[in-house]
Amino acid sequence: MFRDKVYPAYVRAMRPKLRRKRQGTDRSQALVPLIVFCAVLGLNTDKSLAYQLFALLLCTILISRFSLRFSKPNVSVHRKLPNYATARQPFEYQIVVDNTGNRTEADLRLVDIPLVQPPTRQQFRTESEPEEASRNAYDQFIGFHRFMYLQRRNTGITITAAHVPDVARKSHVAVRMQATASRRGLIQLSSTHVLHPDPLNLYEGITRFENPETIVILPKRYRINADVFLSGGRHFQPGGISASWSIGESDEFVSLRDYRDGDSMRKIHWPSSAKQNKPVVREFQDEYFVRQALVLDNTCVISEQLEEAISVAASFLLALNNSDSMLDLIYLSDQAEILTSGRGTSAINEQLEALATLKRSDESVNKLLSASLKHIKKLSGCILILSGWSAAQQAFAETLDRSGVPLRVFVITDNQSLKDIPAHYVPLPVNAIQEALSALSFP
Amino acid sequence: MSTEVAPTDKPMKLRYVQFATMLFWGLQTDLLLWAIPMAIVWEARFFINRRWSLQQRDFYQIADLTTVFLVGLCIFLYANRTEYHFITALVQWLPILFYPLILILGYSTTDRMSLDVLFYSLRRQKQPVTQTWDMDYFLFGLCIVAAGTNMDGAAFYFPIAAGLVALALLPLRSSRYKINVWVLAVGLMFLAGFMTQTAIRGTHLELKKRVQIWIANWVQQRSNPLKTQTSMGAVGKLKISDEILFRINVPDGGIAPRFLQEASYDLPSGNSWAVMNLKFNTVDHEDDFRWRLIDDNQRHPLDIYLEFRRPQALIPIPAGTRVINDLPAIDIQRNNYGAVKGSGMVPSPRYQVEFGFDNQINGPPDKSDTYVPKAKQALLSNLIATNNLNAEAPLKSLHQFFSDFRYSLYQDLTEQNDPIEHFLLSSQKGHCEYFASATVLLLRQMGIPARYVIGYAVQEYDPLVGMYIVRQRHAHSWAIAFIDNRWQVVDTTPAIWADTESSQSSLIQPALDLLANLNFMYSVWWNDQTLTDYENYLILIGLILGLILAYRIFTSEQIDIKPPPAGQTVNDPALSGNESPLYQLIDRLTQAGFNRTKGELLNDWLKRIGYERYIPMLATHQRWRFDPLGVSNEAKALLVSQVDESIERLNVELDEKTEAAPKLKLDNDQHKLS
Repeated sequence: MFRDKVYPAYVRAMRPKLRRKRQGTDRSQALVPLIVFCAVLGLNTDKSLAYQLFALLLCTILISRFSLRFSKPNVSVHRKLPNYATARQPFEYQIVVDNTGNRTEADLRLVDIPLVQPPTRQQFRTESEPEEASRNAYDQFIGFHRFMYLQRRNTGITITAAHVPDVARKSHVAVRMQATASRRGLIQLSSTHVLHPDPLNLYEGITRFENPETIVILPKRYRINADVFLSGGRHFQPGGISASWSIGESDEFVSLRDYRDGDSMRKIHWPSSAKQNKPVVREFQDEYFVRQALVLDNTCVISEQLEEAISVAASFLLALNNSDSMLDLIYLSDQAEILTSGRGTSAINEQLEALATLKRSDESVNKLLSASLKHIKKLSGCILILSGWSAAQQAFAETLDRSGVPLRVFVITDNQSLKDIPAHYVPLPVNAIQEALSALSFP
Repeated sequence: MSTEVAPTDKPMKLRYVQFATMLFWGLQTDLLLWAIPMAIVWEARFFINRRWSLQQRDFYQIADLTTVFLVGLCIFLYANRTEYHFITALVQWLPILFYPLILILGYSTTDRMSLDVLFYSLRRQKQPVTQTWDMDYFLFGLCIVAAGTNMDGAAFYFPIAAGLVALALLPLRSSRYKINVWVLAVGLMFLAGFMTQTAIRGTHLELKKRVQIWIANWVQQRSNPLKTQTSMGAVGKLKISDEILFRINVPDGGIAPRFLQEASYDLPSGNSWAVMNLKFNTVDHEDDFRWRLIDDNQRHPLDIYLEFRRPQALIPIPAGTRVINDLPAIDIQRNNYGAVKGSGMVPSPRYQVEFGFDNQINGPPDKSDTYVPKAKQALLSNLIATNNLNAEAPLKSLHQFFSDFRYSLYQDLTEQNDPIEHFLLSSQKGHCEYFASATVLLLRQMGIPARYVIGYAVQEYDPLVGMYIVRQRHAHSWAIAFIDNRWQVVDTTPAIWADTESSQSSLIQPALDLLANLNFMYSVWWNDQTLTDYENYLILIGLILGLILAYRIFTSEQIDIKPPPAGQTVNDPALSGNESPLYQLIDRLTQAGFNRTKGELLNDWLKRIGYERYIPMLATHQRWRFDPLGVSNEAKALLVSQVDESIERLNVELDEKTEAAPKLKLDNDQHKLS
């Protein structure tokens, strides 16, 4: 197969050239073809003077490249990354340029280099570029655009080069870098390049700083009406308030009972103990509060639908997040995982991080179902996000529906299977999710 | 210290440099009449403050028009390639070609040309095109390259081009370097560039000197009337080409000659043939293009469509040629051996010959026509004896003798020191050169004067064009023998040779022939046309296109880029109300040395410098400046009069102060002393 043969060549050719000491500006890139043209035109020095221009331009480029060696900047850089950013939303971070030399460093540029991740052979074979069918037959055959699309997608971030203002000697400047992550997950930045121009401004010398760092990119999110909540009242939560509040007990006194081994001395109600001549302890009201679950089915093989399911889940996480309730995120990795947030258990960030790095699970949907059913009696409401509408997923939704807990089911779907979805479930077509979510009205 | 910045990018424009470059181009390429108006119109955009807001679609249209012109120019130059050097003329005219496109960009509100305008393939792309080119530099590059296509001004091209390049690089200079570093780099660039170009020129001249000799030997293999090198003795397969060399048109009722002769030779020497008598005689001409070889009335006309690309060449003609017509040349010479050599020939599509069916252009035989090298005499006489070759009926017996031989383009690798001997005795196969050489030697051994002739066999008729075609592989050699007081053709090469060679031709040859024929018919048609026939149409088309362009430019939306005159109200909130008269007062105070620190409110400032009396005026001023409802005209008039009054008073006060200042200082000194 042709693609298998060209794959290594693409990987080799499109790998970032990290050993380069210089790079051309667009001026020098325009000069090179001109030089070649002059060389061809001036081959016969009897017929034209183009050879003179050829000599001149060639020397210009050589001098430009050579002079880069004498003006290397004396700087060091370090990056200040935010903890999180969101996919497809531009974000800014800073790179501090520290002038360690004795001269003002002027006209520098900063380029931050992410770790470029070429597609795997498998990806290159099976996955395709969106709208690849609209490319011409030749492009489709050689697959270069597909390769570049997959490499961009895997790498996942584009960072705009920034101009550094003059840095006076022994001082520093914070340069604001603008970046946009194209996908969720962990994105690695590998190095920062400081570029300095030559006197003719045709080439830029590269000073490389290795500073690998990772940033968590949270899934893209949709706006969800803040009034959205599940019906169903508060439930008794075993574990009491300690599971819901930082430390301490409810002040509400319920009853007295005999001391059992292990009760805290602090709970002993001394007057009653004195009256009855045996230890009596106080009992306090346990807490009842709303606990909801967000069940995410991440077994879908179609990556677009899976990504949308994760985005919708992240959107719900934020919409449901309030200090009065607990929220369980249930998903599959090797086994079913439950992550709880709210009322002091953990921050919502942990759940978002889990969503950010979530991968498709090869496990059966039934594993997720059994875990959800086991958990469901603690819940006052449940949101199920299905990433497809296969028979197993239908059974999943129906079983969970029968458990009696208020349930809302959202199905991420392509347009074809839209009509198969029962009316009491909410279909979210992949290309119109925001519209579908905005149109939601809850009982 | 810590500051934050956002990336910036400002467009560069080549002012004056572009103007000079265009003039330089016009001067170098003799297109000054084009260059001057082009340069003026181009430079005028720095003085004209109007820009047309053109849509991407407009650029597409102009670019498409440019492409059409480019293709048209290419076709024109190709068709007239004898008149113009294709690449040189194309490159010289490129600035004119691209000028409209670059000009409308220069006069539009767009700064850089997006690449989908220039590359059609990008227009169909779904993602927006982000790459752009600075067309100023594009035009600069075109002009400076085009200026170099001419050899005129070889002495000053380099310094001027270098100067212009340096000036073009100047706006790009990085603020990282002081100007002297830049000057040093440019100086180095000049020096290195100059040395390199001198070295290139020197190397080329030296190389040329050596290669010229070598090429001359190689090219003249076939076209030297004094000596011809055969490929006899070469091992392996002879390469022959199917390329069509020329065509022969026989007028209705005419007869085509079997052979066109280029030259004949009488002196065998190794594997080549040479001539004994080196003398050439000039051929008389009746008028400029009519050359008379023989006076005779037997005349069959023949058109030979062969264009001579070199000023000197051998002219293939029938052996009985009387007159050569329509052959523009300075001089035509012939020798005793039927070679007709033209010199100072001008490319012309065809020439005409009038010929008879005898063989008169070969001069009468002399002693050298019976010369046989001593080393071959024994072999030849032996052959004549054993094969009963008869001097009485030489032609018949020779044909008989060679009937056992085979035609072959392939020669085995054998230890042959004499290829003729090998051919005659052992292999008995070979190509026309073997047959012709052997025939000549055998005839001579029999005592018959004979010569070795090279030329072309006329044998392929092309019904499409209605002419005979002569291909490279129809090149042939044969013998002529002087029998019965006239030269007679003795072609002993088996008649099958033509079929053998045509069977080797490539499969796509018919297609190539068709293309060659179309090209030929086109050039025949083209040569009948003159530009004046079309001049009116061309002017008309140019006029219509010009009108369309002008219409499109003037009807499209225009934007005035001139800054609005002072005093005029503008919608920009940052500027509204900046005509308030209070600013005059503030300026006057600032002049007097009362500096207002950055961000200091007017109120605080006036208090600080002790001019609280102006604070009441601030209320109207601030409303003038910031109130979206504005201030009534009466209030404005009042403020104006108040400010004028205040300024007058202030002037008086400040003048008094400056006069009083030294005195004040004196007072201070006295105070210190006491």
